[in-house]
Amino acid sequence: MSAPSIDVPATSDEGPAIQTSGLTKRFGERTALDGIDLHVPRGCAFGFLGPNGAGKTTIIRTLLGLTHASAGSMRLLGHPVPLERAQALQRVGAIVEEPRFHMYLTGRENLSLIAAVRGPEARALIEPALARVGLADRAGQKVKSYSMGMRQRLGVARCLLADPQLLILDEPTNGLDPGGIQEFREMIRAMVEQEGRTVFISSHLLDEVEKTCDAAAIVDRGKIVTQGAIADLAAGGEARNELILAVDDPQLALTTLQGSEHVAEAQASADGLRVVLSGSAETAAAVNAALVRAGVGVMRLEPVRHSLEQRFLEITARLDSPTAAEEQSA
Amino acid sequence: MNAAIATQMFAADFLKLRKKRSTLIWAFVLAVLPVVVFFAVGAIQHASSPAGHGPAGGSDHFHTGLRLLGGLFFGPLVAILIGVEAGTGDVSAGVFRDLVVTGRSRISLFASRVPAALVVCWSVILCGYVLVLLGTFVFAAGLSTPSAALVLNALAFLLLATGVLCVVAVGFSSLVGSKPAAIIALIAWQIVASPLIASIDSLGSARDGVLSQALSHFSPLSLDDGGRHGTILTMSGGTAALVVLVWLALFLGLGAWRTSTMDA
Repeated sequence: MSAPSIDVPATSDEGPAIQTSGLTKRFGERTALDGIDLHVPRGCAFGFLGPNGAGKTTIIRTLLGLTHASAGSMRLLGHPVPLERAQALQRVGAIVEEPRFHMYLTGRENLSLIAAVRGPEARALIEPALARVGLADRAGQKVKSYSMGMRQRLGVARCLLADPQLLILDEPTNGLDPGGIQEFREMIRAMVEQEGRTVFISSHLLDEVEKTCDAAAIVDRGKIVTQGAIADLAAGGEARNELILAVDDPQLALTTLQGSEHVAEAQASADGLRVVLSGSAETAAAVNAALVRAGVGVMRLEPVRHSLEQRFLEITARLDSPTAAEEQSA
Repeated sequence: MNAAIATQMFAADFLKLRKKRSTLIWAFVLAVLPVVVFFAVGAIQHASSPAGHGPAGGSDHFHTGLRLLGGLFFGPLVAILIGVEAGTGDVSAGVFRDLVVTGRSRISLFASRVPAALVVCWSVILCGYVLVLLGTFVFAAGLSTPSAALVLNALAFLLLATGVLCVVAVGFSSLVGSKPAAIIALIAWQIVASPLIASIDSLGSARDGVLSQALSHFSPLSLDDGGRHGTILTMSGGTAALVVLVWLALFLGLGAWRTSTMDA
């Protein structure tokens, strides 16, 4: 499928943070990634969403050169991979699966191992990175004494040693308590909004992606099913602004709405009048004013919130249907 | 990769080994304890029965001490433990993938393990050797003691023998990827298979290919203990050097190849 454009703040004009074309990975007879075309713009939090076993970790491992692709091409921060892998990864930080460390070393020592491999400038980033994730006070303790949440944060600190333009995080909130998840979400948003980094998050948690990310791709059985801005995905295509209205005279209201320039579509439904606006959400006020002018009493006017979860379940249910299975086998 | 990064990577690998207490404790126990026991028992025997037992030091005991560290079980075991830890530490901790995603070449990640393992291995062996020298000279009484040249030659041999085995262990364990499997296989080869192969006369000069036989050639003192721990073959210096180089090249090559091609 073609990658749609996503309206996000760009940090440079050097192309997308991640771009893949026809990326395929086979393990013997089994195809784990099946012609993935992925487009992750710079300067956004991008969710990579899919059920367990959909191929999320495999694509991350392939992008990072931890395993070889069977076919297709990919670019990280504008560099073709694996041809210019070293240059590409210089400004990439990644946590693949859960963060792992030498447990008998301290947090600071573990960071120093990675800093040594990255180069002298990374050494200077150890203390700021520890402070950034709130581990400065515990950095002298052995990692085996850390909680899961602290290890996740130390993993992020390790990523920051690259001063990354792109962070790739695989299921980053696994094992975190609700407070930790909230902190993590705020940290990701700050990295995107204040520091201009791109964050690529793989997750099977819809709520997490919806709350953290600007855009997402939904992957299932090794294929990208859809990708785009979160609002577009949830709405099932281009973003739609919808209202539910409760009025005293539905027939008059429908007649009024169907003649309004601000309304693309209006129909009666079980929970009231369902109205699709032709413009932005702010035109709801104009719709309300038109109804009042026509003598319709408006008792309730409520924006419809499209849920990514709803959309995700629709997509995966469609893939599970016998028709889809037949289409795939054909 | 410039010298500064190479030095940093060596220091990082050295830190990992230096702080791995379980491996280091075992290595020190193996390098130090047999030597201490050997000289302590000799000294006690001499003190309790000077007529029946000679002094615990002197050249003969230096020779035995050298066999303990370099020729027999303990020195090679130290080299294997430390080499295997260096070769598998990152993979078994799950950290190897984090090193790979820095973009640094996998060959350089492998290469930095070797000098770190050598420095740690040689530090431990040196402690054992210092104890051998202490026992040799402190308990010598009126016996002759080894010359300075012999002391230095023996040290060079110890460093060569344990160093080569340590490097082979780094390469082999990087190839195998499993710490227990690598340790068991290397110990079985060194302690059981090598002496067994060397004792099979029908194999003829093919036995020269056994690493421990080639290394024994460089010992300043004979490591033959009357056949109790296997046969010591004679071979030319050129053959011995070639065998050692082939072993080093083979296992360094295999370790580097596996490190650069494995799924991380």
